[in-house]
Amino acid sequence: MIIRKIQIDNYLCYYDSNTFELSEGLNIILGENGEGKTKFFEAVDWLFNGENRELDMLVSAKKLNETEIGDSFRVRVSMTVEQYGEKSIITKSFLAKKEKANECSTSSFVIEGISENSSGERTQVDGQTLLDRIFPFQIRKYSMFKGEAELNIFESDSALANLINLFSEAKHYDKYSEKGTFLREKAEKAVEDSSKLDKKNESLYKKLEGEITLLEREKAKYLVHLNSTEEEIRKIEGNLQLAESHVSNADALGTLNKRIKEIEEKISHLTGRIDENYTTSLFDENWILVNFESFHKEFAEKVSAHSKTRREIQSEHDKQQGIKVGERKAKAELLNNAIPLPNNIPSKAIMEEMLNDEICKVCNREAKKGSEAYEFMMKRLKTYLESQVTEQNEPEKDEPLFKYDYTNRLDNLSISHEDNLKNLRLIRTKIKELFEFNDDRKKDIEELNEQLEKEKTEREKILGNSSIGAEKLSDVLKNYNAWQRDLKNRNQDQVDYTTKLKSLESELKAKKEEKDKIDTSSANSFLIKTRNILRDIETIFVDTKEKKFDEFIEKLQTKSNNFFKTINIDAFTGTIVFTRRNKINRTIVEVELQEDGRTFYKPNQSLLTSMHISILFAISELASEIKEENFPMIFDAPTSSFGEYKTAQFLNLIFETENQKILLIKDFLHTDKVTKTLSIKKEFENVRRNKAFWVKLERPFDPNNLKTINSQVITL
Amino acid sequence: MKNLFDKWKTRIPKYSEAHKDLFTSLSQKFGAEGEKKINLGKHFSTNYELYTYAFFLGLYNNEFAPIPDGEKKTDFSHHIQYWGSKTTISTRKDFTNLQENIFIALVAKTDIDLVTLEKGDLDEDDAVKLLIKTMESYTNGGLILIKEKLEENPNYFLQPTSFLNMILETEKE
Repeated sequence: MIIRKIQIDNYLCYYDSNTFELSEGLNIILGENGEGKTKFFEAVDWLFNGENRELDMLVSAKKLNETEIGDSFRVRVSMTVEQYGEKSIITKSFLAKKEKANECSTSSFVIEGISENSSGERTQVDGQTLLDRIFPFQIRKYSMFKGEAELNIFESDSALANLINLFSEAKHYDKYSEKGTFLREKAEKAVEDSSKLDKKNESLYKKLEGEITLLEREKAKYLVHLNSTEEEIRKIEGNLQLAESHVSNADALGTLNKRIKEIEEKISHLTGRIDENYTTSLFDENWILVNFESFHKEFAEKVSAHSKTRREIQSEHDKQQGIKVGERKAKAELLNNAIPLPNNIPSKAIMEEMLNDEICKVCNREAKKGSEAYEFMMKRLKTYLESQVTEQNEPEKDEPLFKYDYTNRLDNLSISHEDNLKNLRLIRTKIKELFEFNDDRKKDIEELNEQLEKEKTEREKILGNSSIGAEKLSDVLKNYNAWQRDLKNRNQDQVDYTTKLKSLESELKAKKEEKDKIDTSSANSFLIKTRNILRDIETIFVDTKEKKFDEFIEKLQTKSNNFFKTINIDAFTGTIVFTRRNKINRTIVEVELQEDGRTFYKPNQSLLTSMHISILFAISELASEIKEENFPMIFDAPTSSFGEYKTAQFLNLIFETENQKILLIKDFLHTDKVTKTLSIKKEFENVRRNKAFWVKLERPFDPNNLKTINSQVITL
Repeated sequence: MKNLFDKWKTRIPKYSEAHKDLFTSLSQKFGAEGEKKINLGKHFSTNYELYTYAFFLGLYNNEFAPIPDGEKKTDFSHHIQYWGSKTTISTRKDFTNLQENIFIALVAKTDIDLVTLEKGDLDEDDAVKLLIKTMESYTNGGLILIKEKLEENPNYFLQPTSFLNMILETEKE
């Protein structure tokens, strides 16, 4: 899109009709302060964004003065634009009617649009719609810049992120990642509901859910802490840099600060190595067992004495048992040691009958009284009779003497702790060693502290040598030391919070896995599969979106730095660095100027301006690549801190960029000291440009009388 | 095979209510760790740490002091087997070895007729009761020693080495 023409009628200092026939590329509008540059800018801004109010403030005083009471005239800003071979004219205007001297009423505020196709056919269309179509609102916002301060549109922390979202492909993934989150949440809910149906796990599941919520909340809290700590660190570093800029011997200060930092790090490292949790070591390192050996000995002796006693009793018992067994065995002796018949066979009655008849009726032989056979039978009967009596007295055969065995376990315990004894003997040495180690470290720390004091005194001396007044100096000194201290503390906080966050995250992960495990055993497997797929899909969308966003940032950074280097050719620049930070509910992008990886907090205005302009050009260039269309950019006095030489270089650079630019600057004008006449300097001839104008008040004029003010547009 | 240790560790030993203030002032019931513990002026992370400490202190000083019948007993509802953290193992260590050593000392110091026990004439529960009583007696002795130190010098335990020193001083000549 190209602005072909801007026409301004009776708008403040632009009396009657004034036309700027603009060209592609670089258009430079020169003008001294107060001669119409800014009013040009404001007129265009009014066309783009102006509303129907306080219109009488926009009327040309000269025109009003020349108009008869009761007569009226139109105040109008109009723009002719070319886009895709079509011409469009957008006009905003109102009617001013002179009521009395110096006073007018306004009416019929309109914004008109005319669309002209390639064959010259014109159609009337709605002006606002036409404007928004050819020059979208979001782009307009980043196309017009008034003064240097406004160049930093990124002061608001989400502005740059919004802008990047607008131009990068990341925005295409917005709707997908939202949908992805929505579906994943639905699936999670379905799985949870299904898991909850399993009453067995209900309470555990609820407990886990509670813990997860708690951890998430804790995590969010620490994220806030971390973010604000990081912000504070940046602020303190900025303050320190500003204070350092007052110091004459900045290099020496830098070296000293580095040394102080090193010493402080050493001290904190040593302090970390001193372990004085002696009471905890009593338990964790078993130090409390230092005097335990004798008790172990007592125990071991007791157990082994008991074990011996037990064996003796058992053996005596077994001996007694053995005698009984021997007797039984002797009784059972029979030919060839064959197993005898049971005692009751033949029966008692038969035995008595056989003894009576003196015949063994089993083998059918005589057994006279006194014979061996008779004696055998008699003994057998006796054994039987005895067995009938003694059986009642005899204890149960398999009943053991000891019902339980506690000895075995006690023995094992004694043996397993035997090995431990040599460790117990080492405890005293270990304690001594730790005390010595701690004492040595404490000595080291003491020495380092002395060194630190010396370095700090040295630093105060250097700070004393600063360019600011003595009364302010003590303030700076006091603050400087306090800031250094704060910085140290905040850095420690940062480390602590980061560690805490990490541990919270791993805890959270563990809990979630535990919950998933319950899901796997309780919930419907189809639901789980669906949920897992949806989880993956969400991750893909979110990751892709972030990746696209980061890619754009990287491109933006490269392009910005290219512009930056060219604007500041042969001078110090540093590197523009874009950092994406994730805050709780949003993403922000921060821009910093860095030198060797160190943030450069207080660059001078000229450096800052060139940095901002570089970023704007980079954005504009990237926007052209993506939209395949160029949009004009209008800057009012963007380079007032540059100086003429740098401005010329800057102009030559932006001459090379593709899109249309309208620049309003006050450079290259010369006022003759005697005649007070204005002229354009010769140097301007060397500035490359496509078109140039000079806005200049018609002479003579009375600076105190608006009625004499009339800006003339001179096309150079 | 029977195991007295397994039975013993399911018990909760008691202490005299006369020492309750020691537990509130010297130990942190909720398991504070590291800096927080010292900040609160607590020296023991848990009640059972103080209990264990008092037991060994009493044992080493041979302060066998059964809780008098007139004194009310209390406990902190924590079974011996759960003493020593199993969950925060990353920061603290497991107490199994200490539990076993306490048990060893109790068996050494308690008059239990093991023969009668193994013959089944002495009930296992009664044997464990005897062990617990020994434990309570030495602990009570240890707590009395701590109390005496505090009465002597209320600031005694502000030094990080105080509790360690009390144990080291008991070395037998």
